[in-house]
Amino acid sequence: MDHHEHQHLFDVGGAHLSRLEDLRLIKGEGCYAADWNLPQQAHAAFLRADHAHAKITSINTDAARKAPGVLGVYTGEDAVRAGQTKPLSMLTFAGKDGKKALIPERPTLAHGRVRFVGDAVAMVVAETALQAQDAAELIEVEYEDLPVVVAPETALADGAPQLHDNVPGNLCFEQEAGDAAAVEAAFAKAAHVTKLKLDCTRVVPNPMEPRACLAAYDAKSGVYTLHSPVQGINMMRMQLVAYTGVPEEKIKVVARDVGGGFGQRSIAYPEYCSVMMAAKALGRPVKWVSSRSESFLSDSHGRANYITAELALDKDGTFLAMRLDWIADLGAYLHPAGPVSPMRNPVTCLNGVYKTPALFGRWRVALTNTSPVSAYRGAARPEMAYTIERLVDEAAAQMKIDPAEIRRRNFIPPEAFPYKTPTGSVYDIADFPAVLDKALKLADVKGFAKRRAETEKRGLLRGLGLSTVIENSGAGMFPKDEILLEVAADGTLTAYSISHSQGQGHETTFAQIIGDALGIPAERITLRQGIAEKGLIGNHTGGSRTIVGAGTVCHLAAKKLIETATPLAAEELGVEPSQVTYAKGEFKSKESKKTVTLGNLAAKKPLSVTGEGKFGSTFPNGCHIAEIEIDPQTGVTQVVSYVTVDDCGTVINHTIVEGQMHGAVAQGWGQIFGENVVYDPETGQLLTGSFMDYAMPKAGWINDITIAEHTTFGTVSPLGVKGMGESGCTASLGALTNAVMDALRPLGVPPLDMPLTAHKLWQAISAAKKGH
Amino acid sequence: MYAFQYRKAGSLKEAAEFLAKDDEAKPMSGGMTLIPTLKARLAQPTQVIDITGIAELSGIESKGGVLSIGAATRHQQVASSKVVRDVLPALAELASNIGDPQVRNRGTIGGSVANNDPAADYPAAVLALDAKIITNKREIAAEDFFQGMFATALEAGEIIVRIAFPAPKKAAYAKFPHPASGYAMAGVFIAETAAGVRVAVTGAGEGVFRWSDAEAVLAKKMDATALEKLTLATDGLNEDIHGTREYRAQLVKVMAGRAVAALAGKK
Repeated sequence: MDHHEHQHLFDVGGAHLSRLEDLRLIKGEGCYAADWNLPQQAHAAFLRADHAHAKITSINTDAARKAPGVLGVYTGEDAVRAGQTKPLSMLTFAGKDGKKALIPERPTLAHGRVRFVGDAVAMVVAETALQAQDAAELIEVEYEDLPVVVAPETALADGAPQLHDNVPGNLCFEQEAGDAAAVEAAFAKAAHVTKLKLDCTRVVPNPMEPRACLAAYDAKSGVYTLHSPVQGINMMRMQLVAYTGVPEEKIKVVARDVGGGFGQRSIAYPEYCSVMMAAKALGRPVKWVSSRSESFLSDSHGRANYITAELALDKDGTFLAMRLDWIADLGAYLHPAGPVSPMRNPVTCLNGVYKTPALFGRWRVALTNTSPVSAYRGAARPEMAYTIERLVDEAAAQMKIDPAEIRRRNFIPPEAFPYKTPTGSVYDIADFPAVLDKALKLADVKGFAKRRAETEKRGLLRGLGLSTVIENSGAGMFPKDEILLEVAADGTLTAYSISHSQGQGHETTFAQIIGDALGIPAERITLRQGIAEKGLIGNHTGGSRTIVGAGTVCHLAAKKLIETATPLAAEELGVEPSQVTYAKGEFKSKESKKTVTLGNLAAKKPLSVTGEGKFGSTFPNGCHIAEIEIDPQTGVTQVVSYVTVDDCGTVINHTIVEGQMHGAVAQGWGQIFGENVVYDPETGQLLTGSFMDYAMPKAGWINDITIAEHTTFGTVSPLGVKGMGESGCTASLGALTNAVMDALRPLGVPPLDMPLTAHKLWQAISAAKKGH
Repeated sequence: MYAFQYRKAGSLKEAAEFLAKDDEAKPMSGGMTLIPTLKARLAQPTQVIDITGIAELSGIESKGGVLSIGAATRHQQVASSKVVRDVLPALAELASNIGDPQVRNRGTIGGSVANNDPAADYPAAVLALDAKIITNKREIAAEDFFQGMFATALEAGEIIVRIAFPAPKKAAYAKFPHPASGYAMAGVFIAETAAGVRVAVTGAGEGVFRWSDAEAVLAKKMDATALEKLTLATDGLNEDIHGTREYRAQLVKVMAGRAVAALAGKK
């Protein structure tokens, strides 16, 4: 596809087209997991462990079984009997010395032992949800406490409490990547070395819609139907098959609207399997809706990576080598893809946007008495970018080089693409200097010194922080992405996709892409997701890949539709196919001037096509610049300016891209300034188990964000798209932290870790003042 | 939530009767603390008696230098009341910064004061302004009313009817919101009253308290710089994952300074 055609993409419906799904959703006409109901349904409630690590010495369910409305009570014995003990593990590749991962078992209801506060111990099913909750309180569990470990470094140390018999030392997996010898040599001759220890704290994803499921079992066919929030029905089914042992053709997953995901939805949770078990046992549909309190305890958590990083530089600030020691805290058990993110994604972009020639890292997966961790918006890409960008800024400060200048000196130059990285990725295309320059200009970095002086007059501190980042997107784990297009007699189209929106706006962008290819308004295309009957193959939504995979296939499917329909139109028009031209939903014969529409053809005979495609990795990238003020009296940080310049490839819909950026930057903002999961180190109790103690970002914290693009045409998709769901998280962690450190460094404050709470900053400022 | 009987009381007398007959019944005003407590299964009342529809508990009036606010008045009503804005603008401003719009449209002044959450805003105003708590049984001075964390002088079955604030010469409130809950981590209400300067602190300790050292220096001169030399004793202050005692003492001092600054040009 040439550049000229690129220019003409996506003017159908307008690049700022409002989201087609919004009216339905804001009118309350969405259908989320808890909105599904079936006749005769019963309700489940879970009893959860209030001990972080303990043997279950006895469970007495007698009183619960006799309670009003109770239909069944299930414990670990039932889970084991049903064979629900082994969740899918995607950590199948070999690690250090060719060793495979040690995968702990996880009965869907804890059996014999609980390993984190919130571990489900028993399930009660009753006529009403209230009866189920009441009865769950009547279950008597006796525990014998075991030693607790919540910090991953401690879990890996000698003498730590052991969580699983088959995982000695709580070390599930270890891997190395890069060239240790080359890194060693580079460090030996370095003029300067910068070393940081960086905690990328644990967060709770907190999507707005709580977890929920409704399972039904049809005894005649043996088919289970499960309604639950998903990022893609195929991913959910694959995991349910592995966990329950029910064959694939006997599980149907159905979902419509999903209220936020961030990776938390791509897991077949133990509760879903337990509810399926009860639905079969009772011969009635069973429904469960999580409370927010349960979410805090038992939803997958995110991040929780602890990294020691070193950067070697020559005397001019050229990066010679980087070395990492990375510990990933995965919690008490492994979620299916949980450990894959921190093992795979950082390696893919280990050099960031820089031409650092020698890289080496060691990664360890640790188990702790905490809620299991899985992918969270960016899935270790933000941690990787944050690590590099903190190192770069710290090195620049130590060597007294301008932060923009040190980046520019080390960027992979535009002419070097496609660029093969030392760890084997191929960055397709980017223009880092242009992205940086545009951001510097938008942020008026030249005027910063003046603004800082003005801020200081008011008794405040001011800092400016950059982050220039790249991340992998595109490639998926399923063999291909398919989109089915069906044409109706009235000329409208229905598209079917596996990739499932949790808020991304697929119904709009997909319609725009199809509409663009067919020359018809986007409003004439309806997207349906999570329709199991269509039997499509495809990736779930995740890793910013949807626009590259399913999005591109929308384009290919539309082109295929024209191709498929052309001979049919020729027949209708009584001419040779070569005489037929297509435009705006209509076929014309060159000679006769007769026309026939897609709708006309569909009226005669069902008209549908399935497009497909498989795509490799592409690399969205960008530069964010944050400017902040700190009140030294209270430690409060106010972000006074935030600029993003991103290269996400071709933009389909600017409004949606901006929305993605707002949301992702807000999540980064939340993590840097407030969000943080705290477990009591002695007892393993969750100390931040509600919004009273867990600081979600609030609307008032976030100021206006200046969003701009500097795009290059991605090479893995004919549309030139790269993806952009996660880049806001990836870039913001570093930009915000660097801005805060820029403000504090002149006072002599040493490098700090997130969250940069007002309390922490006040303490750091006070300590620095005392030291002077 | 456990099952309970919901009843809406039509009059003060009826509410008192419901409560007198059942020790396990709980009165509910806006329910902004009670409902989350019920949802978390931390309370199990037999009945919840809704008192928000009682006529005697409504209305705002200013008479003879006293601002009287009905206990069931919502925060939003206090925030937007012309009477309050004229007589005691600091109280309207305090109310406009409680929680979020949902909370302000449900929560009531009487409910907040009766609950005496150690981080609630209203107790600081009530104590600093030396307000009177008028119940269905008696009048209680602010000084006697607040008795530490969630504890008050209210007896079983006693219901707050109105709160009477003597109009001060000047007053101001400054709060540092808790990063997660939005409650006061430190809230300082300063009032210049006929009886002198009164400084009440909420959020930082186990309950609302007066900061007498600050009162003494501000009585001499209403100037924030005077506060800088003071050190608030930290032994009674809270300490948790969100902040040390020293940080809370610092926040009290800073908020007091901001309240003093805000006093300039205020009634």
